[in-house]
Amino acid sequence: MIFESIQVILLVGIVASAFFALKNTDLVASAIFLAATSLLLSTEFYLLQAPDVAIAEAAIGAGLSTAIFIVAITKTERWENGKK
Amino acid sequence: MERNKSKPIVAAILFVFLLAMSFSIHPAGKPSETKMDDFFIAHGQEETGSNNIVAAIVFDYRGMDTLVEASVLFAAATGVFIALGGGKK
Amino acid sequence: MNKGLSPIVKNVAAVALVPITVFGLYVIAHGHLTPGGGFPGGAIIATMTALLLISFGTSWVKAIGKERLSMAESLGLVGFVGLAIMGIGKSFFNNFLVGQGLFFGNAVAFGPNPGWLGTAGLIPLMNMAVGLEVFAAISLIAITMFTAEVSK
Repeated sequence: MIFESIQVILLVGIVASAFFALKNTDLVASAIFLAATSLLLSTEFYLLQAPDVAIAEAAIGAGLSTAIFIVAITKTERWENGKK
Repeated sequence: MERNKSKPIVAAILFVFLLAMSFSIHPAGKPSETKMDDFFIAHGQEETGSNNIVAAIVFDYRGMDTLVEASVLFAAATGVFIALGGGKK
Repeated sequence: MNKGLSPIVKNVAAVALVPITVFGLYVIAHGHLTPGGGFPGGAIIATMTALLLISFGTSWVKAIGKERLSMAESLGLVGFVGLAIMGIGKSFFNNFLVGQGLFFGNAVAFGPNPGWLGTAGLIPLMNMAVGLEVFAAISLIAITMFTAEVSK
């Protein structure tokens, strides 16, 4: 029972952080929310006994793609549609 | 105007359709055909000498997939290198 | 030329540098015994490159050289294909080293065992080749994106 409740909490967190990443107009905050999504997703993979996928997701999703998004944002604009 | 009104309807129809399709494939957590998995789990360690069955499948039984995956990463790096002016000016 | 962030960030990045690299090398080297392998290990080491880029700026990129990284990437991919072709006498991706008693070819104990590094034949070598390729490719992408001149 406690296993299922942890999974429900994780899945709700994934959907909520993905929604906030979509709705935020500050793109840096969106990138951080995407990193949170990847981190919760890798925890979910680990709980479902797929540690290989969990390691790859944590390294690429939470580490590298966030860095590449931040680099791309510093090269272009921080705010969506040019407004603050 | 017409397109904006029809967007939620299309989205709802697609959502219901995909949900019904995903439930109609097979029950979750029960693969329909398990002969391949049983073979890999029974013979993987013996044939490849690797304790990690996932590594045995990724680098030995299904090595071609890994090769093409590495080539995709190579192509991505080449594309970024060409597009963002890494070469001669 | 980007000068990087404040000295606090630089010091913390310098402290975190060695553990990240060693953990990535561990994940690559133990790919046939524990979860992980070439792809996640190379990505972990490439995280170190991104950390260096963001904290220290771009002053060290010239010392490494994009050409060397590109050559390492090609070397990893060519090594992977070459290791796969070496077993062509039986089939592509034939694991010919396993059980021969040579380099990485020691016999394994079947069933649950603590694991030993010198087993599994070609799989550790392929892990190293793929790890080199992934590390060089992602580092090259990050460095090229970071040093690109973009007109706003």
